[in-house]
Amino acid sequence: MNDWITFALPKGRIMQDSMELFSKIGITCPEMNENSRKLVFENPELKLRFMAVRATDVPTYVEYGCADLGVVGKDTLLEQGKKLYEPLDLKFGYCRLVVAEPKGMENSDNPLNWSNIRVATKYPNITERYFAARGIQVELIKLYGSIELAPLVGLSERIVDLVSTGGTLKANNMVEVETIAEITSRLIVNRASLKTKHQRIRAIIDGLEKVIGDEVRISQ
Amino acid sequence: MRFSDPPQDSDLPKGVRDFLPLKAAKLEFLQQQLRKVYSAWGFHPVIPPQLEFLDVLERGLGEGLRERAFRFDDRQSNRLLAFPPDMTAQIARIAATRMSQMLLPLRLCYNGRVLRHTEQQAGKDRDIFQSGVELIGLDSPEADAEMIAMTIEALSAVGADRFTVDIGQMEFFRGVMDGLPVDRQQAELIADAILRKDSSELDLLLADTSISDRTRSEIQALPRLFGGREVLELAEKSVSNDRSRRALDNLADILDVLETYGVSEHVTIDLGELRGLNYHTGMTFQGFLPGLGRSICSGGRYNTLMAQYGLDVPATGFTFSLLHLLFALDKNLDQTIAPGTDLLVYSTGDHLRAAQKLARQLRQRGYSVARDIIRRRIDETLVYARQMNYRYVAVVATEDLEIELISLADSSRSRINWQQIQHPDFTLY
Repeated sequence: MNDWITFALPKGRIMQDSMELFSKIGITCPEMNENSRKLVFENPELKLRFMAVRATDVPTYVEYGCADLGVVGKDTLLEQGKKLYEPLDLKFGYCRLVVAEPKGMENSDNPLNWSNIRVATKYPNITERYFAARGIQVELIKLYGSIELAPLVGLSERIVDLVSTGGTLKANNMVEVETIAEITSRLIVNRASLKTKHQRIRAIIDGLEKVIGDEVRISQ
Repeated sequence: MRFSDPPQDSDLPKGVRDFLPLKAAKLEFLQQQLRKVYSAWGFHPVIPPQLEFLDVLERGLGEGLRERAFRFDDRQSNRLLAFPPDMTAQIARIAATRMSQMLLPLRLCYNGRVLRHTEQQAGKDRDIFQSGVELIGLDSPEADAEMIAMTIEALSAVGADRFTVDIGQMEFFRGVMDGLPVDRQQAELIADAILRKDSSELDLLLADTSISDRTRSEIQALPRLFGGREVLELAEKSVSNDRSRRALDNLADILDVLETYGVSEHVTIDLGELRGLNYHTGMTFQGFLPGLGRSICSGGRYNTLMAQYGLDVPATGFTFSLLHLLFALDKNLDQTIAPGTDLLVYSTGDHLRAAQKLARQLRQRGYSVARDIIRRRIDETLVYARQMNYRYVAVVATEDLEIELISLADSSRSRINWQQIQHPDFTLY
């Protein structure tokens, strides 16, 4: 199994986008098109394996070497800070990580005056670092989903969350105040794999680099 | 499990563990194999102490290690003491002080344990088993190649079948960055992006600086300068400064020596590998096994370290992390390490003398033999012997009667008499 290459891909749209991009350099997996509940797909001819995992678990599988390569959002990488190579910006899955608050608050509230604020987010590490760098103390409330709900019910004043079109924020009567980072999907590589399988992995990186578009795009 | 369950009163702090016989045997095997390689290359062991004065120790520690030492007050001296977090600093101190009058080069090796604070993260060891060598007083590609060749021999000796030793050169990066109009913080961010091979981040960082286009493309090439020997030619084309070129010449010389030693097939090059940038002065390397994300050994040149202890001579060396090695090779070692004991001697009656005599005779012949001192039924002894990995059970009655040998592998029984054991050609199996 040692000369196989294993990918960890996040289930869903990013997985489709990844496979679409990979197919341009001949990385395919017909088994994946069959409707199944499988989590591992193989292409024995090309000695390729694909694992469908949760997006936030992709860096873990790659860090521990269960997968050689992975595709994951920059938001997850920033949040987890793992020791991985991230050689390529794949330019899809574009969104922004923003600070948002209920509409109307901005009239009475100038970010320059923040000193101690309460923030709900899926990204406690990024949020803490971002505000600490600006000398603002935050009380963090870690949530696992529907972050926009927090200010509506008074759980927090603000949120830090991903925004792609802004539709969800609008629907919940919130506005963006600041952008923390622009996010796209990245190709990540296990450190040992890059060294021990450098020929195959180098070919993948160089190949993908040539077919990645210039424009970033939203994945929906 | 309930969260209200109190922890057992005999638990251990995080990051340390007990090694039961099988694991302990494997660790010992790894240590022995490494020691054999060190000895074959003419290295001699030194044993540093497990306590040092913090201020003395700190002089020889790189930035990342300084804050990771366990430290405390010493009532005897009123100074701060530390448990060493790394043995290289200790070997440097010993060589520069106690051995400073000796002729160079010094070839020293060590096997020991160090303690380190780690982030509060699961699975990170605080009790670290190190094994390594220091080659002191030589500044030449041949000395660096010696470290790499020894590492490769050591990896073969412990039974690793597929592995890579990845070589870097800090001087290449320093040459590229020399005299650039960036401040310290920017330089660190650039180094970090290169370390992660994050080209897009690197582009963003460089866009904010007034670096010339030529140098910019030199820096942008760094995350991709990894692979086989061809990397040197690629790099040669991408840089124009002398310092980086000297670094490439140095690597080429090292690779030539490695070719003579016949170990080139295991070697890769990565000029964007900047781990230990503040500590290493030239060539660096790390050993990788497929599927294990972290390196199992690391080494390189540190020509400024010895001067910290008053002897300004160059040095190079490497360290193995034995627990990483054990983790990676655990399954392979199952085949190498046969745990257990040759023979358990069971006495059927009250004539214990016969059983004791047999045990003594077989030990003298080099077998490992234990006496089943407890009085119990033979079937109970067999259950015990099986669990404890004995190979045979000897059932002894008296010094006149034959001895029954029961093999635990296949439960076969055979008989031997006392004269047979005396015979010079006697073997148990």
